[in-house]
Amino acid sequence: MPVYSISHVENVRVCVVMVGLPARGKSLISQKIVRYLSWLSIKSKCFNVGNYRRQIATMPIEVDAKFFDPNNEEGLKYRQQAIDLAIDDMMRWFSDEQGVVGILDATNSTRARRETILKLCRENYIEPMFLESFCDDQDLVLQNILDVKTTSPDYVSKPQDYAMKDFLQRIEYYNQIYEPMDAVTDSELTFIKLVNVNSQIILNRIESYLESRIVYYVMNLHIKPRCIWLSRHGESEFNVTGQIGGDSNLSTRGWRYAKKLPELVLKSLGPDAQHTNLTVWTSTLKRTQQTASFLPYKKKLQWKALDELDAGECDGMTYEEIEQKFPEDFKARDDDKYEYRYRGGESYRDIVIRLEPIIMELERQENILIITHQAVLRCLYAYFMNVPQHESPWMSIPLHTLIKLEPRAYSTLVSRIKADIPAVSTYKEKGTSQLGESVEGMSSKSRDLISASAES
Amino acid sequence: MSSSAISDDEGELYNGFGSSPISRNQMRTTKRWSFHNNTRPLMDLPVDANTGGKPRRLSDITGEDGVHKTLNPYSEWGGAQLYSTESGRLFHAGKIIIALAGLPGRGKTHLSVSLTRYLRWLGVKTHSFHLGDYRRATAEDNNLTHDLFVPTPSSKQAHAVREKAVNECLNDILNFFKADKGQVAIYDAVNAIPEFRLELHKKFTELNIQVLFIESLVTDDKIIQKNIEEAARLSPDYTNWDYEKAKKDYSERINALAPYYQPMGTEESQLSYIKFVNFGERIELHNSSYGYLINKVVFYLMNSRIKSGSVFFARCYKNTMDYASDPPLDAEGIQYAKNLTLTLVEHLKYCGKDYIGEGSILRPAELKRELSVDERQPPTGVDGVDKDSLVIWTSVKKRTIATTQFFTKRNIKVRHRIQLSQKNPGIVGSMSESEIEEKYPEFYQQYEQDPYHYRFPRAESYHDLAIKIEPLILEMERMSGDILIIADETILQVFYGYLMSCSCYEIPSLNFKEDEIIEIKFNAYSNSAERIKIKDFANTLNVK
Repeated sequence: MPVYSISHVENVRVCVVMVGLPARGKSLISQKIVRYLSWLSIKSKCFNVGNYRRQIATMPIEVDAKFFDPNNEEGLKYRQQAIDLAIDDMMRWFSDEQGVVGILDATNSTRARRETILKLCRENYIEPMFLESFCDDQDLVLQNILDVKTTSPDYVSKPQDYAMKDFLQRIEYYNQIYEPMDAVTDSELTFIKLVNVNSQIILNRIESYLESRIVYYVMNLHIKPRCIWLSRHGESEFNVTGQIGGDSNLSTRGWRYAKKLPELVLKSLGPDAQHTNLTVWTSTLKRTQQTASFLPYKKKLQWKALDELDAGECDGMTYEEIEQKFPEDFKARDDDKYEYRYRGGESYRDIVIRLEPIIMELERQENILIITHQAVLRCLYAYFMNVPQHESPWMSIPLHTLIKLEPRAYSTLVSRIKADIPAVSTYKEKGTSQLGESVEGMSSKSRDLISASAES
Repeated sequence: MSSSAISDDEGELYNGFGSSPISRNQMRTTKRWSFHNNTRPLMDLPVDANTGGKPRRLSDITGEDGVHKTLNPYSEWGGAQLYSTESGRLFHAGKIIIALAGLPGRGKTHLSVSLTRYLRWLGVKTHSFHLGDYRRATAEDNNLTHDLFVPTPSSKQAHAVREKAVNECLNDILNFFKADKGQVAIYDAVNAIPEFRLELHKKFTELNIQVLFIESLVTDDKIIQKNIEEAARLSPDYTNWDYEKAKKDYSERINALAPYYQPMGTEESQLSYIKFVNFGERIELHNSSYGYLINKVVFYLMNSRIKSGSVFFARCYKNTMDYASDPPLDAEGIQYAKNLTLTLVEHLKYCGKDYIGEGSILRPAELKRELSVDERQPPTGVDGVDKDSLVIWTSVKKRTIATTQFFTKRNIKVRHRIQLSQKNPGIVGSMSESEIEEKYPEFYQQYEQDPYHYRFPRAESYHDLAIKIEPLILEMERMSGDILIIADETILQVFYGYLMSCSCYEIPSLNFKEDEIIEIKFNAYSNSAERIKIKDFANTLNVK
């Protein structure tokens, strides 16, 4: 195995310190950054102070708006305890678990608080980057409260209008002591200030490429509702013979899937959205283009980056042949499928690197249908569903199935439509060269950082 | 021209900065005209229908760097274009004029040239228009009095020269959009007062051309001083001037203009503008609708630095080996690696860069940082922050890694990147061109027609490489120290193509010799390339 060091991360460690009043989308941004960086194998984690507060089991008082009154000493005590717990955990994570980007998701609304965190970071050679979400557009704030906050664990079993009123009061208490960041007073700090969801942005002293990547990612996020459809190509001639790679044509059953795909898409769109105009992305290989050939949409783009994992010297072989010819490689791949790079070919990690521009485009775009290959699909799916690296290469993504992803604020909804056209299985379990799902049905493991998604 | 091309073009106009609808602050007019009707006059100036009028004023100095070249309206494509419409413009991005603002000595020319380089690389038809070029051509006897630079000149004559230069420049910009199918024009001028900027905004918005201002502000006197020195040495305004006199004149010019200059602010709250402070120390974005292109521009601005270091290219020894296997470096290759290391160290020393000592790098950047929690520190662990540093980039192949071993011994940082592996040749493997021609005549013919974009079956094209290495290009822009890239010729061609702004038709035929290091030096007006012969330190390579 060649020596490998992660590109795009030098040896820098960054602490993203969120700043802003409640209901400014801080948690959403934090979660998205963690998702993006984790997918790129940049170790990152979010430390949400609200969650730490809720975990203080001994807290005897009720958490309503008054708890957040800056003059409520008891409330202050517990809130301080919560932030201390979060910061301690984060620092331990940086030092014991070699964390790279830690996100401290809290209001951090006063200069004094920010100063404390700043010094702590400097003492530990961690670069502090403040990310403030500032919003004085009341409509946006109310929308956000309705979307997310009234379902917050703090308001379980409380009526919605109570939750709304109480939450607004809580914001008001925070507002009393809030000191927004500005270019003059905070000129020495690395910070990003987003005003009213990207209508104005200040970027101050962005000093590493990693930081600039985070900023660029945040700038590309949008909150418009949209869907992403994923499909593998129809069954190919190589699938039938069990060979990997190659650039073969579709099999007869594969062509049947291609013909049925337009209908599946319409079904997935539902009766109200039949006329939605999708953009279709395929790889440069014949089998994906053949699969897309009956789709009526005008915009079809080919991306080299969507090509199947390059199996190098093993291209065109069956798993049995690989096991015979390269037994050590075969085992090495099963032992660490994410990192294993085929002789002269690629690893899953390599695919993620080449997919990165695709992900950035996907974040910006609206409705997209992607027809690609098993390994690439696993990587794309892993991004949207937060599937960890040791699981993603083992996910089962069967042929002749259309997957629909609906990104929501905190999770992605998934639904699958089977085409009901038989196809071989291309799924290979660990330790065997035989294809096919196991009896217990290793269904695809998808999970999300916040909540398990609704899979149908 | 097919009808779909026209509708694409119109679609772009509607889509403004990006795929999102035009921002509510942008004034829209209902009057739109087809840009395919070449006889329609734009604004109040006549346009030559065939060629876009007389050739534009160009300020290339060396002729090496392609960043100033006029683009061919129909056939020129940048290295890493993702997609475009039939009109040749980037899908969903519309036409944009980036107007600069800022006093002299604020690095506007540097900014416009480097942005042009990056955007051209992304396949966006971009051209910088330096008002200075037009002024020099208009002013009598090349006499650039300070009066010519202020917004309201005191003499009638200066006023006339000013008007003429501005009109000529703007007319060329319009021609660029109209006749050359340009997409982004960068207007490099002082644009000192709100009145000028609002007028510019109005004129172009009426033509459905989006206007984005980038205002360069500098509060750090050291940067200004450096820029004055650079202008005195290199600005075409001071060709054949005595250096000290030029410096003095340029300072006076800045002082003459300073009282007139009004930074962008409340009066212009409806405009889209970016304040670019102290070369990226702070970037403020106002009122942009943040489409693909503008986001890319901002990403670039975040990473762009005034570079003092150079980029060096070297090939790894014997890189014609089979793509799929990964053979180790042989004895000759190891000797080559030694020679390469010694040659570069010697060269750096010769250039006065003595940060590499006898055995190893003198002061690794980390050691220079002293712990203080009260003051801002340079970031730890970031490559190339220090201008006295060398970082090596290479691929993950055994032979390129082995080529870096003598640098590693000297404590120099080596980074391995998968993106730096050679272009995948696909089915043609390590065949020579004549073998390909014989075995796959059909493929070969297509390859001949467009060697940059053509992919042999299962292969990568140069274009695929360019897209793959784009993140590295930004990382490279950010580093102020020296960097050496050891990679296959195909990778070097693409990097060189970016740094010297080559068209994609030139890139596949760029030639890198195995016994040379190429050094690219940066400067505000254009980059330059030099070849350094790799010396033989063991006399074992004199076989041929």
